[in-house]
Order: sequence, then structure tokens, then C-alpha cells
Amino acid sequence: MNTLARALNALALVGVCAVLGVAFYWQIARGELPCPLCLLQRMALLGAGLGFMLNVRFGSSESHYGVVIVSALVGGAVAARQVLLHIVPGTGSYGSALLGWHFYTWALVAFFLIALFAAALLFIEAQFAEGVSEWRPSVGAQVLGWLFVVIALGNTVSTLLECGFGPCPDNPTGYQLLQK
Amino acid sequence: MIVLPMAVPFIVLVLAAILAMLGLRRTAVWIWFLALAVTVYVLQSHITDPLKVAL
Repeated sequence: MNTLARALNALALVGVCAVLGVAFYWQIARGELPCPLCLLQRMALLGAGLGFMLNVRFGSSESHYGVVIVSALVGGAVAARQVLLHIVPGTGSYGSALLGWHFYTWALVAFFLIALFAAALLFIEAQFAEGVSEWRPSVGAQVLGWLFVVIALGNTVSTLLECGFGPCPDNPTGYQLLQK
Repeated sequence: MIVLPMAVPFIVLVLAAILAMLGLRRTAVWIWFLALAVTVYVLQSHITDPLKVAL
């Protein structure tokens, strides 16, 4: 696998983990629970992270970039939906803002940039020469991959606690499973 | 229509990520497809979702 492509994929995976970490920090430290659309955006971000993780773990493949781009498109659609939901004056907003923008607005920008980044990486043709079957992941790639798994698992447990086994409320005020 | 819990797509995606780390690349991609389908289903079926009202 091309060194540049490998480094950029690892960097993107670190970025996805960092974004999810910030969202998690906001949820736990600030007590702002994610809404259903916010959770779906997290889900799409995890999907994009999975694509980068596959590239880091196995070497570059067009299908891995497909995972990234399709996840980013779905996430972007959900984020755009939430932006449009609050775009009409007087409809308010959900959650607090970070550097002047709400999280769903940041998410929309992030998904656009992720799709653009993955599409740009596809231009590095040398990365596909080696093939995925010959690729042996380094210790760093293994650590980064398992870190991503832990973050995904954390989001799963958090979502289960927040929404329980039924529909998730529009404006969640507490963890449903912990209240029962 | 069955309303799936919001955690279901997360569980499926975690499964895909674990399978990927265990070396099952193709299976992980197929499971990701399943997670994507479940995500879209949850999006359109979630009864409290404002999208339902708008549509």
C-alpha cells in the first residue's frame, strides 16, 4: 500500500475518532443527549470510519472508499435534513453551538469534506497495486482499528441506554434504560 | 410497521468493525451494507422523527 495513502487513511480515521470523541465529551460532560437525527449522523460517521479502518487494516481497495463515500452521503443527507428543520426563523435549534455552529451544521460540512477527501484519495493509483490480500497490518494499524471498535461500542451502549428498546424521543432528557 | 430500536444499526456496525479487525474483510463490507440498510430503515420508520411529519 502506498505510504502516503496509508498515512492519509490513518489520519482520517484518527479524525473520525476525534469527532466522535468530542461528541461523546459533549454528551457526558455537558449532559447534552443526542437527538435521533444526531444519532443517525454518528452512525454514518462510524460507517465512514469503518471504510478508512478497512483501508488501514487491509490495504487500499475501491470498495473501502465506496464504504466511506456512501456513508458520508447518507450522513450528509441526515445532517442536511436537520439543518433544514431549523432553518426557518422561529423554529429554534437543537443543542448548543460549537464555535458558532450547531453540531448538525458541523456534521454537514464534515460529511462533505469526508466524501471529498475519499474521492481525492482515489487519485493515488499506486495504492491499489499491492492488493488487499498481500497486506499485513502494522501494530499501529491494529491499535487504531481496535480504538475505533471501542468508540463504536461506546456509542452503541450509549444509544441503547438513551433510547432503550423502543422509539427514541425527539428531545431526550435522560437515559431511558437507567430511569426504569 | 416495525419500529426498530435506534441501537440496532450501531450493533450491526460494531459487528462489521469487529469482523474487519478479525480479518474477515468481505464479510465486514456485507455487514456494513446491512448496517446502512438498517440505518435508512430506522430513519424512515422512527415514529418520533420530524421527517415523518414533514413528509
